[in-house]
Amino acid sequence: MTHSSFHWRGLARPGLRCLTNGARCLLALASLAVVAPALGAQHLLVPMDDAQQNHLKAYGLTFNALKAGNRAEWFINYRGGSFLLPDGPELRKTATLDGVTFEPLDNGRLAQIRAEIASGNMDAVTLEKAPRIAIYTPPKSPPWDDAVTLALRYAGIEYTTVWDDEVMNGDLQKYDWLHLFHEDFTGQLNKLYLGFRDAPWFVEQRERNLDAAKRLGFATIPALKKAVAERIRQYVEGGGFLFAMCGATETLELAIAAHNADIAAAYADGTPIDEDVDAKMDWKRAMAFRDVHVEQSPFTNSMSDIDGHQVNVPARRQPLGQFTLFAFSAKFDPVATMLVQDHRTVIPDYYGVTTSFNKAVIKPGVTVLAYEEGAPWVKYIHGDYGKGSWTFLGGHDPEDPQHNIGNAPTDLALHPNSPGYRLILNNVLFPAAKKKPLKT
Amino acid sequence: MRRSRSARVAFTFAWVLTLAPQAARAQAQPGLPMRALELEQAGKWREALSAYRAALDESTTAAILGIERVYDQLGKRDSILPLIDSMITKRPREPMLRTVQLRTLAYLHRDEAAAAAFERWVQIAPREAAPYREYARLLLDAGRATAADTVLQRAQRALGGTKDITVEMAQLRAATGLWELSAQSWREAMVASPYLDQAAVFSLFPTPDSLRGAVRQVFRAPPVAVEARRALALLEVRWSSAREGWLALRDLPPSDDAVSAWTEFGDEAEASGAWLVARDAFAAALAHKPTRELAVRAANDALSGADPASAVKLLEPYAAAADSESVRTVLPLRVRALSALGRAADAEALISANASRLDSLAHMRLVRMAAWGWVRAGDLAKARAAMGTTPMGEDEDRTMGWISLYEGDLKSARRILKRATETDPDLLLALALLARTKVDSAPGVGSAFLALARADSAGAVTKLVTAAPEVPDASALLLNAAARIHSARHADSSAIALWERIVKDYASQPEAAEAELEWARTLRRNGDRAGAVEHLEHMILTYPRSALVPQARRELDLARQSVPSL
Repeated sequence: MTHSSFHWRGLARPGLRCLTNGARCLLALASLAVVAPALGAQHLLVPMDDAQQNHLKAYGLTFNALKAGNRAEWFINYRGGSFLLPDGPELRKTATLDGVTFEPLDNGRLAQIRAEIASGNMDAVTLEKAPRIAIYTPPKSPPWDDAVTLALRYAGIEYTTVWDDEVMNGDLQKYDWLHLFHEDFTGQLNKLYLGFRDAPWFVEQRERNLDAAKRLGFATIPALKKAVAERIRQYVEGGGFLFAMCGATETLELAIAAHNADIAAAYADGTPIDEDVDAKMDWKRAMAFRDVHVEQSPFTNSMSDIDGHQVNVPARRQPLGQFTLFAFSAKFDPVATMLVQDHRTVIPDYYGVTTSFNKAVIKPGVTVLAYEEGAPWVKYIHGDYGKGSWTFLGGHDPEDPQHNIGNAPTDLALHPNSPGYRLILNNVLFPAAKKKPLKT
Repeated sequence: MRRSRSARVAFTFAWVLTLAPQAARAQAQPGLPMRALELEQAGKWREALSAYRAALDESTTAAILGIERVYDQLGKRDSILPLIDSMITKRPREPMLRTVQLRTLAYLHRDEAAAAAFERWVQIAPREAAPYREYARLLLDAGRATAADTVLQRAQRALGGTKDITVEMAQLRAATGLWELSAQSWREAMVASPYLDQAAVFSLFPTPDSLRGAVRQVFRAPPVAVEARRALALLEVRWSSAREGWLALRDLPPSDDAVSAWTEFGDEAEASGAWLVARDAFAAALAHKPTRELAVRAANDALSGADPASAVKLLEPYAAAADSESVRTVLPLRVRALSALGRAADAEALISANASRLDSLAHMRLVRMAAWGWVRAGDLAKARAAMGTTPMGEDEDRTMGWISLYEGDLKSARRILKRATETDPDLLLALALLARTKVDSAPGVGSAFLALARADSAGAVTKLVTAAPEVPDASALLLNAAARIHSARHADSSAIALWERIVKDYASQPEAAEAELEWARTLRRNGDRAGAVEHLEHMILTYPRSALVPQARRELDLARQSVPSL
């Protein structure tokens, strides 16, 4: 099933000819207007402003339309970043089942919308193909541990889970989009050893990682995770899309920059952190950060000064505020604009192992997508790396600001309009966009 | 002149100096801390601060805590530190001063200063538990479990054990996910301080499902300890149900403490509407310490829990009592219980036997109660006759409406019952039927409702299904009511057969959407997720405007496992 711009153009031309062909064509247009409702609409507009009843499932609807071989368009900055889908019984059925609001459009109405988009800070981006999604997560971990997996499950977006074995076997090349969550790529298990060393869940986590290290030929967990981080770096360099949240953002960068340094405490690898570790870090290899100070104390539950909020270090912990999405030019910065599509521009902040990113350690050229007014940190950043690109979002769960270990998982059926979760799902669809020459 | 003025000024100063100590003494009279508290409560912070300072010598603890609170209100918590420091110099072993100092430093995130203050306190009181306890608590509150662990390990070494720091050990262990060890510490702590049961419950409530068995074992382990069992009972109420909570308490050896625990648990169960659990708890207390009040409470709960037979039994020892309090409290419960059992003749005999002790209003109420006894016995003629002996008020009128319905006289029932405003499920079903059907007489329908009133659910479902053709315009409603009863009785296949019939034969009736939703819910509950999804999708697409669609979408999410199932 095809549709959209080609059909639109095809129907617009008879209309233009009518201007010259007189009464006969006027009669034809009148007939079309009468017949059109009986034929049904040609398109479905999925509004993403406050008219939408279920924003999160709207992404799933669009993703699955692409997966079924349809083409779609993303009207960025138009009614909260609406989607245009081809009309059809299957899509209407899915939208009805999921409670996704849609508006049937005929070609005349669509032409008006396109004119409106053309005249403002909006654009229409063609979505061509559903990306193949990989989630880096330990085997058998429940999907409710991770905000992205929660969002994908709820929206009905298909994904595959991968872990160290698949990454080391080179399986990442099979996927367009890779997501990382609260994995600690420094191999220190988020420095929870001292507080939770006898807790059953921690013991299981440590054993699982030790088994993987042994299986894959590494002496320690830090050595394994450093190798995995390097494979992920290569994946992005080779053209992959990386989306990371929470602690994975910070520790991935630390692991990549530490290819010649020991940044793991003695309890993790048997040797202390290098005394001159900051000097040994190679930030040229990193994607987002530079000149970072590595936290050397195993007793301080922090990895570095990348995170602005330092939630697990009481003396350094900063209170939560709210962050603002940056308004980009849709026609000149379509990628950044896609990543910030939302029906809210100011969103309450939420903690994570890494909540935010200190401006002082962000590389020049990185695009800041969301920031907190007057704060020395930002929330959401994006950049290109080699042939690929990456996006980092701080925090753990947009609908659970204080998230503590052992808290019940978030039930997204209670948050179908979550503006924070929309940011995650923007990232899922953004790799589906048809590449076109960059204007900037 | 000049000299004399100077002399007068000098005299005045001398007079002031002489009077000043007296004035100060007068100000420091008993009641000053109370005055300061009143000023604080009135929001007069600065005046309260002065008053608390003036009260420092008289009531140091109250004054210091008051000053701490007022500075907090003024947003100047750090201002108390110089005062505390100077007082600690004079009274270095005073735990309250040390505690406030630590608390303030912790609040200000001055971690190094707090650690140093703790060390100074330990130095001056090396064999006391207080410094370790207070500092560990602050660290735990700040989420610094590792640091708290270090402090408590030091305490164990310094104090030669954990006896004086059990609460902190319990909290630390819970904070670090060591649930079983935490339960052990709580059990130990509650021996000396039974009032800690609520704190233990709060601390252990987050125990994951898989580890709750270990916590249960700790609290149940011999020797039986009332406080540990009480804490476990409260935990069970929050984890699962009041019934599980009662299981933790019911085998306590009888004692005054056990009676208190049972009575308190009965209160708790009543508050959560677990009537039969409350009855069991009060009945256990009653067996050891019989009182009329306990018997009345237990019987009342039995009636609320639809077990009138046990209510009759519980009240038997007080049946012969003829004092006015027994007539006021025991007699109505006995009549109600006998009526609920359908023993209307016994209820009427009881009323007759006590007629001389009843005023006319109380007598009339009991007679009406007995009339319902005849309904439950299935003898509508006698119910009508009993009602005929009382003057007709609004309530009695409604009773006659019910009797009309049971007799199949839908027209009279419709006229009388439409004025009812209660939300009783049986009444709602009756009103739904009477509003829906235009049929005026349906004996089969009356018989079905009578079976419901007699708590004969098996008979009711059969009669509801049989009566459905009598009211063609409300057949689906009766079938759906029958399906609900089947479902409540866990007769899922019978319920599904009726829902299927409604969906197929009455697709345009309002019950069809509900029937399909319930059908799907039952399938999901029985593990048939694919079947549930199929029916939910059909229901949403067929009845997109139904008010039940949001519920169906929620079920669909659960059936597809796209949201966590809690």
